[in-house]
Amino acid sequence: MLLYVIRRLVSGLVLAVLVTLITFLLLAPSFDGIVSNRIGIGVTSEAVRALKADMGLDRPVLVQYLDWLSDAVRGDLGVSFFSGEAVGHTVGQHLGVTLSIVVVTLLLTVAVSVTLGVLAASRGGAVDRITQAASLTGHLVPNLLIAIALVYLLAIRLKLLPATGFTPVTEDPAAWARSITIPVIALLVASVAGLTAQVRGTMIDELRKDYVRTLRTRGISTRAVVLRHALRNAAGPALTVLSFEFVALLGGALIVEKVFAIPGFGSYAFDASLQGDVPVIMGITLFAVLLVVTINLAVDLVNGWLNPKARIF
Amino acid sequence: MSISPRPLQRRSRILTATAAAALLMTAACGGGSDSPDASPSAEKLAIAIQAPPSSFEVTRLDGGQAAYVWASVYDTLLYTDEKGQIQPNAAESYTYSEDRKTLTFKLRAGMAFSSGAPVNAAAAKASLDAVRTTPGLGQSNLASIDSVEAADDLTVVVKLKEPDDSLVPYLAGGSSAIADPAAMKQPDAATNPVASGPYTLDKGATVSGSSYTLKKREDYWNAAAYPFETIQVKVMPDRAAVVNALRAGELNAGSVDSSQVETLKSAGLRIEQIKASSVATLFLADREGDKLEPLGDLKVRQAINMAFDRAKLVQTVLRGTGMPTAQLFNPKGRAYDAALDELYPYDPAAAKKLLAEAGYAQGFEVTMPSFVTTKPLEPVIAQSLADIGVKVTWESVPLQQQFTALGSAKYPMYFGIYGLDHDPLLVDTYTAPGTPTNPFKSADPELTKLIGDADKAGDPAEADEAYKKINQFFVKNAWFAPVMDIGMSWVTAKGITYLGDGSSAAISIRYFGTSD
Repeated sequence: MLLYVIRRLVSGLVLAVLVTLITFLLLAPSFDGIVSNRIGIGVTSEAVRALKADMGLDRPVLVQYLDWLSDAVRGDLGVSFFSGEAVGHTVGQHLGVTLSIVVVTLLLTVAVSVTLGVLAASRGGAVDRITQAASLTGHLVPNLLIAIALVYLLAIRLKLLPATGFTPVTEDPAAWARSITIPVIALLVASVAGLTAQVRGTMIDELRKDYVRTLRTRGISTRAVVLRHALRNAAGPALTVLSFEFVALLGGALIVEKVFAIPGFGSYAFDASLQGDVPVIMGITLFAVLLVVTINLAVDLVNGWLNPKARIF
Repeated sequence: MSISPRPLQRRSRILTATAAAALLMTAACGGGSDSPDASPSAEKLAIAIQAPPSSFEVTRLDGGQAAYVWASVYDTLLYTDEKGQIQPNAAESYTYSEDRKTLTFKLRAGMAFSSGAPVNAAAAKASLDAVRTTPGLGQSNLASIDSVEAADDLTVVVKLKEPDDSLVPYLAGGSSAIADPAAMKQPDAATNPVASGPYTLDKGATVSGSSYTLKKREDYWNAAAYPFETIQVKVMPDRAAVVNALRAGELNAGSVDSSQVETLKSAGLRIEQIKASSVATLFLADREGDKLEPLGDLKVRQAINMAFDRAKLVQTVLRGTGMPTAQLFNPKGRAYDAALDELYPYDPAAAKKLLAEAGYAQGFEVTMPSFVTTKPLEPVIAQSLADIGVKVTWESVPLQQQFTALGSAKYPMYFGIYGLDHDPLLVDTYTAPGTPTNPFKSADPELTKLIGDADKAGDPAEADEAYKKINQFFVKNAWFAPVMDIGMSWVTAKGITYLGDGSSAAISIRYFGTSD
């Protein structure tokens, strides 16, 4: 297994090099625009050329990329073209903000979805119909609408929670919890709706299988059949959906981050892309690739642990 | 609708444009008659801006709302007051020589940087030299400077290559910010400003890119002009977030979309409406008709000016938060001439007739760049032009390519929203050849003479007269087709007042005061 993990990590690094190279090559034609964007309107093309040279963007593209890569390998991701801040530090800072929201959202998603999905699949009847209706509604109602309604009610009317902003957990855990409550609920609804439907569907499939009937005939309690056997087998696909959800939320939290003025990864990436902040875009790309590789690896490992038949190592 | 305050410097006009368009695009949120908390405290000003400041290096201080942060930390030689007048600041006086080629500043005695080092002529020279020798906007702004000398401890002498009337307004902005020379050389100069302004950046309470906390310096020479002990500048690109934060009492000042004004007014907040802070204009840039032959004909450019029902657009698109205009200058400025707004009344029939006289009875087609910032207004612009026979095809251009696309002279006509500013700076911006605001390098002997007259005028009244004539030149020759001035709505909580009335284009914490 260790060899498998090492192999996956090495292929992840190769992937990171390829993706960052492609990103850099895609950005290269925009360098003139990026320099103009930094220098502003009302200046001549000579001034743009001078700044381009000053920023080192007039060198051959591959030389620039290799410079970036060799610095990145040594842990130096450069500084932002616009703010002058160290990219490694700021990417980590913004990623931390989003992760603190996304991880809480996913943990709650798992808790709520598994409970609802299992109940709906095992009990059927009214519980199932209500769960399905709730899941469909969750899919249909836009996150933004939920966020707006919650802000109005909880922040503006009742003044229980802040309407905007973010407090780091290290600074004040209680204030952190208050600051992420509405964003988490806004993200949670769609997330729960998706995963609940998934868990319900796979659980129904599992509960119809022969091994479940066999277990029941041997006198195993329904509770044990559902939780220890069927759920374990149904967890694989749900975990895969969850990993997609995790990756989607990293970028997808953008709207929620904007509406709540949260300095997260999504809005940071969005702003850097609009500005053409090459070092920041490269740093974000690298972090994102490594994160996705790590998550996929973790999901494969957990899947293998849950279901030996699914082991690919 | 409303718009964020605009910059003193050229670069930030596009930031203003971005802000304006963002406001146009932003959806409204909620309603109600709830009352927000009282302002956090008159001791504290909590204000929202749409984009974070860039680097804190003196060579990189841009305009736009970011100036709420850096202009609170830095002292500039001069500043623009809320009435739009340039006033002494770190320099207690400035004088021009007879030939207007030497500008002498006398610094205030006793000023100190937050590091404790004295502010003197050598420091001012070091900052000015850094700005004018570093590629960037500041270098462009100070291009007319030949040399800077520290004549004595408190006297800075600036020698000009040629008289330049735009220099003093530029020196009332970020181009004349004074940094501690020792700190300028430090590797953390971009994030750790050491300056002599009324506030210092509280790095411990600041989350870069998100929230900036500024603490007042009690030893500041003009502390009385700054009533707030603490300033918190929060970055909120989303206008709905600003409205929510104002209603929840998390902010006590912010500019909002005009659609939100009534809701906020009923929530007990104070509203100050500025009728003009930026101008939405069509650049008829190819005035020789090199790329688009029809534009070389004055009659065609005049016809385009007559295609817009400006008053109706202000009411329908801006909900009244703006003004119809046919000129680029600030209605509260001295170059503005109300009579010029009457020159091109809305008259599609007359416009078609002018086109026919110019030989374009069937109209013509034009491709214009579409930016995310101008998209909301593009349909009404295209429709107005289509009504007189000018068919527009929009070509999408990414925001980061906007200046390159415009500066490359690819587009003979384009639409943009640009911040209002001091008259000399507007003239400088709109006439500088080879820039995104004059890509076809339009020039005219009459205009050159008028600009020269303004540069050499020793008497401000003479300069004002020259700018008035430059304005007339632009309008009569239809170099542009301005459509409307876009205003802004400032919202403040109880205890806070916004002192500006639109006369000044500058961005400053100084424009906020306290009240009962």
